[in-house]
Amino acid sequence: MNEELDSQLSAMFDNELPDAECELLARRLSRDPDLKARWGRYAVIGAVIRAERGVTLDGTMAGRVSAALSSEPALTGAGGAQASDRGLRSRWWQPVAGAGLAAGVAVASILWVRSQALPGGQNVMAPAMIASTATLAAPAAQSALQNASLAAPDSFVVPPVQQRPMMVVPATELADYVVAHSAFSWPVSRGNLLSALMVSEPGTSSTPVRSDQPVPGVQGNAIQNPK
Amino acid sequence: MSADASDLSLVRRVQRGDKGAFDALVLKYQHKLVKLVMRYVRNPAEAEDIAQEAFIKAYRALPQFRGDSAFYTWLYRIAINTAKNAVVSRDRNPVEYDLDRSNTDESYDMQGRMKDSETPEGLVLTDEIRSTVNAAIEALPEDLRTAIVLRELEGLSYEEIAAAMACPVGTVRSRIFRAREAIDGRLREIFEGGLGRAEELG
Repeated sequence: MNEELDSQLSAMFDNELPDAECELLARRLSRDPDLKARWGRYAVIGAVIRAERGVTLDGTMAGRVSAALSSEPALTGAGGAQASDRGLRSRWWQPVAGAGLAAGVAVASILWVRSQALPGGQNVMAPAMIASTATLAAPAAQSALQNASLAAPDSFVVPPVQQRPMMVVPATELADYVVAHSAFSWPVSRGNLLSALMVSEPGTSSTPVRSDQPVPGVQGNAIQNPK
Repeated sequence: MSADASDLSLVRRVQRGDKGAFDALVLKYQHKLVKLVMRYVRNPAEAEDIAQEAFIKAYRALPQFRGDSAFYTWLYRIAINTAKNAVVSRDRNPVEYDLDRSNTDESYDMQGRMKDSETPEGLVLTDEIRSTVNAAIEALPEDLRTAIVLRELEGLSYEEIAAAMACPVGTVRSRIFRAREAIDGRLREIFEGGLGRAEELG
């Protein structure tokens, strides 16, 4: 019998062996009569050191218990299965609790950031973070961000939405188009089309344009880009 | 490493149908359990019977053992209840035991030891085991003797012994193992002479 195994057995007897080693040694212990006999002698040594008087040390009790249990059916592992079922039942809430905790932390972070962004609050975005955000934006937005951060360092910076370039239709082409199509339309709809074209232009009000008022951006038949 | 990982690993094996693992638990705790039961009944033979009954009850109840407490704590409770029930049962039928109680402690003890399963050979062997183990302990080097006594008599953990002896835990484990090996070398001669192997386990 090798010394390492005996050393493990001694440590296992004292409940001082790592769990992983216990599993393997327990298996061997339950099958190896020599190892079991040694295990039993370790128990005898302990009993003598503790001076357990009145206790017989011949080890016959284990034999008697074993003989009494020989007629008993072997356990079917129900206990282990029940224990693992119970473990599963008692652990179902753990992922739910984890997700809830994560959500709580996220909500708390958002609330905290928003409270910091209130007027009069401290700026929660570090300048470096602002700079890194700005580098991701378009050059125009980048300059706007830099201007914003310089002008109002205590405010929360929202990158402006990059505006789509407006489709610029040359005014003369549009006017020619309208005039050319006016030949095929009713006079009423023709007037409506022209006025609707002028009203839908940015910078104009939604109120109907009266014919006696000057239309911004429109000079004669030309429609200019308000920008 | 949990507090009673080795017991738990044996218990799990029993729960999976390995009766041999239960033998190891009986071998480990039989003396402690008899000593415990003797707080309730003074007759050693009766204490052994009660301890044996407690082990059988424990085996039958093992499917319900969850590992919430240490195995020995659980076994301890079963043994205490079995002993209390035995005392109640004995009090209901006091004739035999009243006679025993009239004896002196020594004669009572001897009478108890001679009952049932005990044999004169067994008693002689028990005395021989005691003297052999004590002699072997006396012959141990000081550091080995201190380590094994702190473990078995005081019940200290390896970590506590390491702190007490100002040495690493690995050294404690080695010292306790070597102490056991030295004692076991002497003890094996007695057991292999017929003791302990007469009734093959498992």
